Amino acid sequence: MTEQLRQPAEKAYAAELDALRAADTGQKPQGWSLSPRSVVTYVMGGKAGGIAISPKYVGDKRLIETAVATLATDRALLLLGVPGTAKSWVSEHLAAAISGDSTAVIQCTAGTDENQVRYGWNYAQLLAKGPSREALVPTPLFRSMEAGRLCRLEELTRMGSDVQDTLITVLSEKMMPIPELNSAVYAVRGFNIIATANNRDKGVNDLSAALKRRFNVVVLPLPSDIEEEIGIVTRRVGEMAESLDLPAPKNVAEEVRRVVAIFRELRGGETADGKLALKTPSGSLSTAEAIAVMVGGLSQAAFFNNGKLDAECLAPNILGAVVKDPVQDKAVLGEYLETVLKKRPDYSGYYRTLTDML
Amino acid sequence: MMTADIHIFGIRHHGPGSTRRLVDALDTLKPAAVLIEGPADLSDLLAHLADPEMVTPVALLAYDVATPERASFWPFAEYSPEYQAARWALARGVSPRLIDLPASWRLAPATPPEAAPDSAVEPAPVPSEAPIDPVARDPLGALALAAGYEDGESWWRDVIEENPDPEPVFEAVADAMTALRTGVDGKVTQGHDVFEEQREAHMRLEIAAAARDATGPVAVICGAWHVPALREKRSAKSDRDLLKGGARTRIAATWAPWTTPRLAFGTGYGAGVAAPAWCDHLWRTAPAEVVPRWMLRIAMALRAHGHAASTASLIEAQRLARSLAALRERPAPGFEEMRDAAIAVLCEGERLRWEVIARELLIGSAVGVIPENVPLAPLLEDLKRQQKATRLKPEALERELALDLRSEAGLARSALLHRLAILGVPWGRLTDAGRSRGTFRERWVIAWEPEYAVNLVEHLVFGPTIETAASGRLLSKLADAISLPSIADLTRSALTAELPLAASAGVERLSHRVAETSDCSELLGALPPLADVARYGDARGTDSEMMKQLLERIAIGAAIALPYAVRGLDAPAAEQLAALLRGADAAIVLTEPAADVLIRWREALDHVVTDTQAGQRLAGAAARLLYDADVLPPDRAALLFGHRLSPATPVANAADFFEGFFEAGSDRLIFDDGLRSAVNAWMLSLDEETFTEHLPVFRRVFARLDALERRRLLDAATGASSTGAAAGAVFIPNAAEIWSRHMPAIMAILDADPAEDGQ
Repeated sequence: MTEQLRQPAEKAYAAELDALRAADTGQKPQGWSLSPRSVVTYVMGGKAGGIAISPKYVGDKRLIETAVATLATDRALLLLGVPGTAKSWVSEHLAAAISGDSTAVIQCTAGTDENQVRYGWNYAQLLAKGPSREALVPTPLFRSMEAGRLCRLEELTRMGSDVQDTLITVLSEKMMPIPELNSAVYAVRGFNIIATANNRDKGVNDLSAALKRRFNVVVLPLPSDIEEEIGIVTRRVGEMAESLDLPAPKNVAEEVRRVVAIFRELRGGETADGKLALKTPSGSLSTAEAIAVMVGGLSQAAFFNNGKLDAECLAPNILGAVVKDPVQDKAVLGEYLETVLKKRPDYSGYYRTLTDML
Repeated sequence: MMTADIHIFGIRHHGPGSTRRLVDALDTLKPAAVLIEGPADLSDLLAHLADPEMVTPVALLAYDVATPERASFWPFAEYSPEYQAARWALARGVSPRLIDLPASWRLAPATPPEAAPDSAVEPAPVPSEAPIDPVARDPLGALALAAGYEDGESWWRDVIEENPDPEPVFEAVADAMTALRTGVDGKVTQGHDVFEEQREAHMRLEIAAAARDATGPVAVICGAWHVPALREKRSAKSDRDLLKGGARTRIAATWAPWTTPRLAFGTGYGAGVAAPAWCDHLWRTAPAEVVPRWMLRIAMALRAHGHAASTASLIEAQRLARSLAALRERPAPGFEEMRDAAIAVLCEGERLRWEVIARELLIGSAVGVIPENVPLAPLLEDLKRQQKATRLKPEALERELALDLRSEAGLARSALLHRLAILGVPWGRLTDAGRSRGTFRERWVIAWEPEYAVNLVEHLVFGPTIETAASGRLLSKLADAISLPSIADLTRSALTAELPLAASAGVERLSHRVAETSDCSELLGALPPLADVARYGDARGTDSEMMKQLLERIAIGAAIALPYAVRGLDAPAAEQLAALLRGADAAIVLTEPAADVLIRWREALDHVVTDTQAGQRLAGAAARLLYDADVLPPDRAALLFGHRLSPATPVANAADFFEGFFEAGSDRLIFDDGLRSAVNAWMLSLDEETFTEHLPVFRRVFARLDALERRRLLDAATGASSTGAAAGAVFIPNAAEIWSRHMPAIMAILDADPAEDGQ
């Protein structure tokens, strides 16, 4: 047991990484601690020596292969996807497997400036000695270039466009000029960048074409299988309810199934049996939103409905998740209610409550 | 007996990799006889392949003379091993021969069910290899799939092409097939049914016969699956026994132009390939250039769709493909690596972008060309048969033809004329199109023009009979149609031409399009033709229940979209939408939908009436529809009228409402006292100037009444009679006095024709 609330991937899965390293016979690109094939095995699960490797990502193996192959060339990798598609999770594990260290992270926000991406200055030193290497404060990107490791940029598109573009030289020329010292830092083999970004959010700073061209893009999709998605939602809802001290009523599993079914049908644009094509709303209706709907419903049930989880607790949350555009989405939901839910007796509660609220 | 030098080459149908090797092998072997898997009685047609005017893809077509619906196609692409083998032989003066079961046998009615050519398979008719199971259809593809390859050609290159000598390649294939077909007892298992066994027996006998006559080596080109069976030593007698008593039928055969989409497996051709254009690329491109040139084609397709694909990113995509191939432990990037790399680099990770170009890129759109000296008869022959059966003679002079659809003969004639119209042969022209729909009578004018024969022949690509060709033509049009009304129209033609397959495809397209669109006018516009289809379906005995459900869905969709669609429209748009609204309402009422659909629809109309943001023209139209349906009770209507036409309402809005309400007919005013008094009160409240301003509106509205109706309205308005309905007939003693008193006020309103002023 450790004091730490959460350990980085390379510590939490140290045993698996060691086993893979021991059994690895493949050729390693310079600066990598595992061969590309072993990295794929680490992420997708399998066996190494006698030890079972747990799957970290459930989904299409080809996507992970493309991601690893990208990092093996000197191209940077951009993981795109709606919230809740395991982008950061995959990026952490790739960094852990390839560099043995996933801690070089820059969390990009609207407030991130160039000093946090390139390098900053220790002003006391700067004043005392003038510009010098000692006065320079390196960033995770700076350190990764020097050490030949992977650097992760989380939520790249939340950072201002002008700051994003400082990456262009780093990506194309593998060096970062330090004009103040008339020198530069040159990346050591093994250095590369994994960025993650959300491709559904509005109002973020889109990547410039010049920067986008320097990334290979892998889009992580939403779960393709309903059982898989129900599993993910149930597990996450359980964890969150626990941490929020919300009691979980017995029928959570049932309601999860219904909510996920509604989400999947609206997101996929057709009914589960494939007989009826549907319009899709403008929101992403991701797995993460399904989780939020369930947690919101649980909280409403606990505080306002005597702990009883029913359609009336969940419907307002569903409405909020589906209707992002007050005109278009209302029409979409209205049609869905009339043509699909109305005919399903076990969804009558949802139909009634949602129709009333619409 | 099998003493001659026989070489059996197991090939992959339409596999460019094996074609390349086959041509090399033939060059080395220099056979004196070339035998190819294919119906033996069509051998003579192979000579046409030498004609330089013949452009692939083309197909051998054989059909039963008596029932041309029973037809089979054997398609050939440029890269098909069979085609190249035939071309090789023809170029060297060796006449190629086909050795499979004759088409006359295959097309005979008594063939086993799975091989029975049945016109139910559309649009591509029965392929030569009635697919038994995926392994027998494309055993090499199955092996590739088992090895983790999606593309059999990449597997062929990685695994089989590693071998430098041509002959051992085919040895390796034969070994693999023997292993696949060898049962646990160590014997080569026979075909899965009698038909397969008969095919192989026939081929064995033909090979033996050819070996007896041949002056040199004999090359046999057949699907890899058959190699072990053809190599087996069997007595000729047992083979002949197998073939005894097979039914035969009289067939006719020719070459038909083919298209690349119909070479694709996905479009219904059982022995097709997944991506014809990829195969074509492999065949035409030197092996070293396959990767860069394919990447370039991807980039060109992306650019054609308006996406940037720079040369630098092309290089990056190739590098990623190489690195992926290394990761997957393959010697060189194949189809999948290039696809994955293209998605990650050129499509910015978006699969959708790839799928947009994929069809064009992978399937292609080439159409084959048949030289003129090849007889192209089947459609014309079918036409002659149909003309005989329906007793319709092609005559150049126009002639009227009335058809009663209740009689079998009438229905058959109608279907024939409709189908020909679909095929661009307007032999008959419907004189009362539109009116006759939904009834049992059709009136045609028929006249035959000689060029119709040419039009007909051009459509051979869609099928060998008029029915299949018309169906194929409609299906291809449906695939291109986008708007709901045009899809509805095509579906209607399919129904009138008795083409159930195209009709159900149309219904499917409709249901998808309904889901895609939320454009209210599109939905409204689709309702009238669909109501026609639903009713017409009744007359033709087709499934109208499905149509009705679809109609109800569209009605609900339109009802949901309507409240948003009626806002912020300018005058022409409002007028258009009002017309659509009336048409749609009539269609909905006519088809008698479920009660809740009707209620939902009327709720939407009511919403339009009460919504203050809605265009008043539309509010008026909706109010009228509700009023006519007795949903809006007269007292509420009068109230509404008074409210909408009250002085506080801007006059322009009031006039819009007024016009919207009465656009559908103003005769209601004659009978309806409450309505009339509301209108009357509004009109009287207008001052001189505004009244003059609105004269055009009033004229438009009242001009729809004829003279008698106008007279009756006048009487009603002047209070000449308490019951407006009888007003026209009642004699009023002091009419002249009343008339002159009201004359100045009323004349201007009622008189639509300025010439009558002052009379």
